[in-house]
Amino acid sequence: MSTIPRVSSAVPGEPAHFGSVLAHQPEIAASFFALYGRFWQSEVLSARIKEVARMRNARVTQCGFCRNVRFDKAVAQGLGEDAVDDIADGYETSGRLTPAEKAVLKFTDALIHDPELLTGDAKAALQRHLTPAQIAELGLGVTLFLALAKALITMGLEPETMDRTVLPTPAVLEAAE
Amino acid sequence: MTPTGGSAVHAALAGDAVLAEHYAAFRASTEAALDPALVALVRQGVAAVHGLESAPDESGLDEGTRDCLAYARRMPFEHTAIEDAEAAGVVAHLGEAGFVAFSVLAALADAECRAALVDLPGLAGS
Repeated sequence: MSTIPRVSSAVPGEPAHFGSVLAHQPEIAASFFALYGRFWQSEVLSARIKEVARMRNARVTQCGFCRNVRFDKAVAQGLGEDAVDDIADGYETSGRLTPAEKAVLKFTDALIHDPELLTGDAKAALQRHLTPAQIAELGLGVTLFLALAKALITMGLEPETMDRTVLPTPAVLEAAE
Repeated sequence: MTPTGGSAVHAALAGDAVLAEHYAAFRASTEAALDPALVALVRQGVAAVHGLESAPDESGLDEGTRDCLAYARRMPFEHTAIEDAEAAGVVAHLGEAGFVAFSVLAALADAECRAALVDLPGLAGS
């Protein structure tokens, strides 16, 4: 996996990172950030649940950038590092993750890794803990997390080193609409 | 299951007009940045890796397009193994801006196929 950018920054003076590289395609950037902001702003599914799925995707796809970022709304909703540490193989036995979060993790694994993991029991658990609207939003989120991580990795935008960083949760920038 | 992975996420969002509209806009902007024939090839090639479609016909494709297709096929299961030289080949064929759009397209195509494979629309009651 390369940590040398395979494409240059399109923003003068800025190093190559996801935002500065995506600036090569302003229409894609604008539509992505509008979508991503609305997704995180929606309260159909809690930010904590979304972050649990995002962290699982980060680990499975080996996205170092994604793995070291935390979104502040999920932290405020009680997703601490002890619980994040449990979002690893064997999460089924965690005492810190809720049954709903474990069902979300199983769905996340099924979507990003192996659809056969969504067995009858796992599917029933997901549908017991989440409404259809919440599952739709979760599916959108995992789709975006996966695509974002793979695009970032394959464009060589993985950081060589990165400290854990709490960022503002993505929001809709009305002025950009 | 949605016949092709492309619309599984959008179909699942049938109950949320705002997110559905923005998802469609993001998808459309990505596709609009590339040659429609290449978009179709990438989507079909990725879907074929997932067993959702037949492999695209490569006869008549130029070398650069074949390289792009081969690169896209690695996105589903080999994204961490793609070498700098492979990426450089795509950049040489599409340019930097094209490579950015292509990377987003291929990654999104893979994720959409996976959403179809778990029957996201069915799970979401759509």
